[in-house]
Parts: sequence; structure tokens; C-alpha cells
Amino acid sequence: MLKYLIKRLIGIIPILFFVSIFIFLFVHMIPGDPARLVAGQDASLQDVEMVREELGLDRPIHVQYFSFVTNILQGDLGTSLKTKRPVLEEISQRFMPTFWLTVWSMAWAVIFGLLIGVISATKRNKWQDYLGMFGAVSGISLPSFWLGLMLIQLFSVQLGWLPTGGMDSWKSYILPSITLGAGVAAVIARFSRSSLMDILKEDYIRTGRAKGLHENKVVWGHGLKNAMIPVVTMTGLQFGFLLGGSIVIETVFSWPGLGRLLIDSVSFRDYPVIQAEMLLFALEFILINLIVDLLYGVLNPQIRYE
Amino acid sequence: MAETMLKIEDLKTYFYGDDGVVKAVDGVTITINKGETVGVVGESGCGKSVTSLSVMRLLHDTPGEIVDGSIEFQGKNLLSFSEKEMRQIRGNEVAMIFQEPMTSLNPVYKIGKQLEEAIQLHLKYDKQKAREHAIQMLKLVGIPRSDEIVNEFPYQLSGGMRQRVMIAMAMACRPKLLIADEPTTALDVTIQAQILDLMRTLREESETSIMLITHDLGVVAEMCDRVVVMYAGKVVEETDVYTLFEDPKHPYTRGLIGSVPKLGKNANRLDSIPGNVPTPSNMPKGCKFAPRCSNVLKVCLEKEPVLEKVEANHTCRCWLYQNTETVGV
Repeated sequence: MLKYLIKRLIGIIPILFFVSIFIFLFVHMIPGDPARLVAGQDASLQDVEMVREELGLDRPIHVQYFSFVTNILQGDLGTSLKTKRPVLEEISQRFMPTFWLTVWSMAWAVIFGLLIGVISATKRNKWQDYLGMFGAVSGISLPSFWLGLMLIQLFSVQLGWLPTGGMDSWKSYILPSITLGAGVAAVIARFSRSSLMDILKEDYIRTGRAKGLHENKVVWGHGLKNAMIPVVTMTGLQFGFLLGGSIVIETVFSWPGLGRLLIDSVSFRDYPVIQAEMLLFALEFILINLIVDLLYGVLNPQIRYE
Repeated sequence: MAETMLKIEDLKTYFYGDDGVVKAVDGVTITINKGETVGVVGESGCGKSVTSLSVMRLLHDTPGEIVDGSIEFQGKNLLSFSEKEMRQIRGNEVAMIFQEPMTSLNPVYKIGKQLEEAIQLHLKYDKQKAREHAIQMLKLVGIPRSDEIVNEFPYQLSGGMRQRVMIAMAMACRPKLLIADEPTTALDVTIQAQILDLMRTLREESETSIMLITHDLGVVAEMCDRVVVMYAGKVVEETDVYTLFEDPKHPYTRGLIGSVPKLGKNANRLDSIPGNVPTPSNMPKGCKFAPRCSNVLKVCLEKEPVLEKVEANHTCRCWLYQNTETVGV
């Protein structure tokens, strides 16, 4: 197990290396001149060239990439072109809000998604199933910005219960996490429903009933653990996407997270911030995949990592 | 007269599908006495398994429904039981072994836990005592290293071992009636013999009644006291095991026995019953077996015979033996 973990962690290094090349190339392909943006619209051509030299953007691209990588290896992600602050500082400040928003969204998405999925699967083709799946289809189809705006309209503007945006207290988490989690909850509900419906046809479910177990124990105990494998995969991927910071939701709720930072830095051509953020997203996905793989081992005893 | 353990009377279990009603079990009557082993024989789709699932009231995931008849277990009508009362019977007084040992155990739980579940539920043992009992049961069914096996997962065991576990699970609460639905069908021959041996030993030790569902007449000859032959949801013949093999009456039973290969008899081809079990949508009007029967009479195609006594201990549903006066043809 430990050996497997170490092997997987070492495996991350080459992946990140290739990812860094792609990120670097793509970021430099974005049209627009960062030197011009830093120097300002009215700056003379001479000033712009000076800024370019100062930022090292005049060097050949492979030299730039090389210094990018060596700096990262030394723990230096560079300085933001816009704020002139270290990128690491910029990102770490934005990471926690997005992280907690993601955790809350996922928490309730998993709880409600599973609940709806299990009820729908056990009450197949009854009104509970139709209601659950109506909710799930709505959750998938409703655009999140629209849902967010509607929630703000109802709970903030009309009722005045919750703040419209920002991140001041626990109350600020409620609306954005519901908005962000709705789609995920819907996907989890549909996945767990279909997965559990297949599992409930298995012979060992009948064995459980033949033992005299209560139906709840058969479904939640014997059924759900078997049904969880596809659900875990999907949930892990969703978690990765959410950790990237939902650009739309963070904008709607003025959330000081990574999504908004990305938008800002792209519009300013803030190369170092964009690169660092992309690299962070890649790392997050790799780590989540690793966690999902380890969870498989917990769920399915036939998977043992040597 | 021996004590009656299970009395299925005129049981009708119908399936309601898109193409209408399928009469999977259509008026079946079976009685099993204490300590007796009754074989229920027939081809696939004749309603054997549905009969057994009806007794356990485990038709959950099927569109099946018990529409008529009664199932009395020790004098109590199981059909009048609530789901809660049924749960106290299942796995406790009436236990069941299924055909597929490979898929009948939950792959994600350890063997021990799966056994202890029923033990803790019905015998009200604490965890420690349930574990000891589980190990004891595994020893009883001949599983080596049973104190280690309880910590293993089903995939680590072979098919024969898994069926032993299933038997241990079924016998754990000392049931009065064991329903075994094709318990050896999925196993290879040497393992079959071991499992049958084991069931016989357990039966002798515990005086459990067994309802043995099979299509294998060899298993019937080995295990059963009495045999019920089913065809298309109905009982067509019932007698004790010796009479069945010596003097089968119904052409279907004769066909079944004739299609078993015999040692020493030099036959190039095995006898077989032509055709298939009729599909529910084109059930023949008269005797359900008439289209495949080699002794078919005119009356067979028009009217269905009733199950009638042909000898003291022998009933048969066939026009060849019907007392024409009582039926009034």
C-alpha cells in the first residue's frame, strides 16, 4: 500500500513536467502583449521594450520556459505582473475560499444526491422516483448563473436572509454552495440511481433478503457499497472541476476565489499567475484521481494495491 | 402420520407483464413433512423456482404476485403474514440456498460478517458469540481453516467453498425447512457429490425438512424421499422416489427418466423429449404437454386432465390414467 502510494506520487513528476510544457506554450499563445499592458496604453514604444526586457519576455521562448521551470523548482512561482506581488501569495490567498466552497458544495451534493438516488432506485417508477429524477434533470439543465441569480433574488433581495455575495460569515457560503452543488447533486443522483438499480438485481441482494434482513439494511448495507464505485469516480472528477473554482459562480457571488483570479489574470495577460494556476489545477486533478483509486481499494476488496 | 412442516395448497403465482398474464405457478399443491426431503423436478421455466420464492415471499424484484392459494408453514398461513413477520421466518425457520454460489455472496463483505448478520439477527447473539457460531458452522460444512476464512472475501473462495458457505449460512439458525434451489447445478460433479453428502449429513443431524428443487434426476435419486414433477406451472406427477423411477406414469416423467444416460447401455443417441416447454403466450388449450407427448390422445388436445390418484401413493395428471367416469368425458 505504502509502496503503491510512493510509486504513484513519483509518477506525478513526469506528468507535471509535460503539463508544464503545454501550459507554458498555450499561455504564450494567448494574443495580446503583456508588456504593453504593464507599461500602460500611453507608454512609448521604447518604454514597452524596456518593460519587456525587464520581464524577460524578449528572450527566446525555450529560455523563458527553462527559467520558468528552474524557478518553480526553487519554489519561486514568479511575481504577478498586475499586482507585483509573489504569485504564490496571490494564489494561496485565493485557494482557501475556493477550497471551502468546494467542500461545502460537495458535502451537501453527496448527501442529497445519494439520498435522491437511493430513494429513486428503490421506488422505481413510483412518484418518488419521478419527483427525484425531475429534480435531477432540473439540476443538470438549469444554468448555474441563472439558479444563482434566482436564489439571490429570493433569499437575499426578497427575504433578506442571506448576503448577496462576498465572503463574510458562514451565511455567505449557503447560496453559492447550493448553486455550485445543485448540478453535482443531480449527477450523483442519476449515477447512484442507475448503479443501485443494477446492483439490486444481483443474487446476493436476494440472499440478504432471504436471511431476513430489513429492506433498509439490504439496500443501504449490501446494495449501496457495491453501487458506489461508479459514483465515486464521477464524484472525484466533479470535485476536481469545482476545485478549479467555478468562474461563473464566483463571479455571480463576488467570491474571492481562484476562478475569479483566473478571469482577472487572463484579461491582464498575467502570465505567471495563469501558469501557476493551471499547474495547480493539473496537480489537483492528479491527486484527486489518486484518492479515487485508493477509495476503490476500500470499496472493492478485490482491488489491493501492491 | 408425520408432522406436516409445509403445506402449499393450490398456489397460483402470476406474472403481470406487457404481453399479459403469465401463469408461472398455476395451482400447485405440495406437502412436506418433518424430516422429509421432497424433490421438485422439471425443466427450466416450469415454475419450480417461482414456487420456492413464493414460499419465502421473495418475489420483490419480479412482477410476480401470489394471486391465490395458501402456504402453511407449521400450520400458520405465511400469506397472511406481514413483511415484518416474514422477516422473522426468513433465514431463521425457513432458509434458502440458491443456484449460483458465485454470485450469491456479497463481494464486498467478509465471509464472517455475512454469516454473523443472520446469527445476530435471529439468535440474538452478541458479536463475539456470533463469530464463534459462524466459525463453528463453517467447520460443520467442512471448510478448512474456518477461523481464517471468516476474515476472507468471497472472491478468495472457489465455487464449491462458496456453496458450503451458503449452506452454513442457511443452516446457522437451525431452520426447520430448507429450500434448496438447484444447489449443485453450478458445481462440477465431484463437488456436487460432496455438497449432497453434506446436505444429507446435516439433514440427519438436525431433522430439517428439505424442499429440493432440481432438474437433475440423479440428485433426486440420491437425496429425496418423495418427488413432485412439474410442467408448465402445474404438478403433473407425485409419488415416492422408488415408484417414480420404477413405474413412472406421466409421459413427461418417462421422457425425463429416459433422457438420463445409463451406464452399460450401449446407446448411440440419448432419448430426448421433442420440442420445448410452451411459451406462456401460446399455451395449448388441453393438456400442456400434449404437443410434445408421444402418447397423445384426441381428448388431450381439447381438455386438460386433473391430478388424480392412480395408486395409493401416486398421483398423475394424464388422460391415459384418468377415470373417465369421474371426469365425465
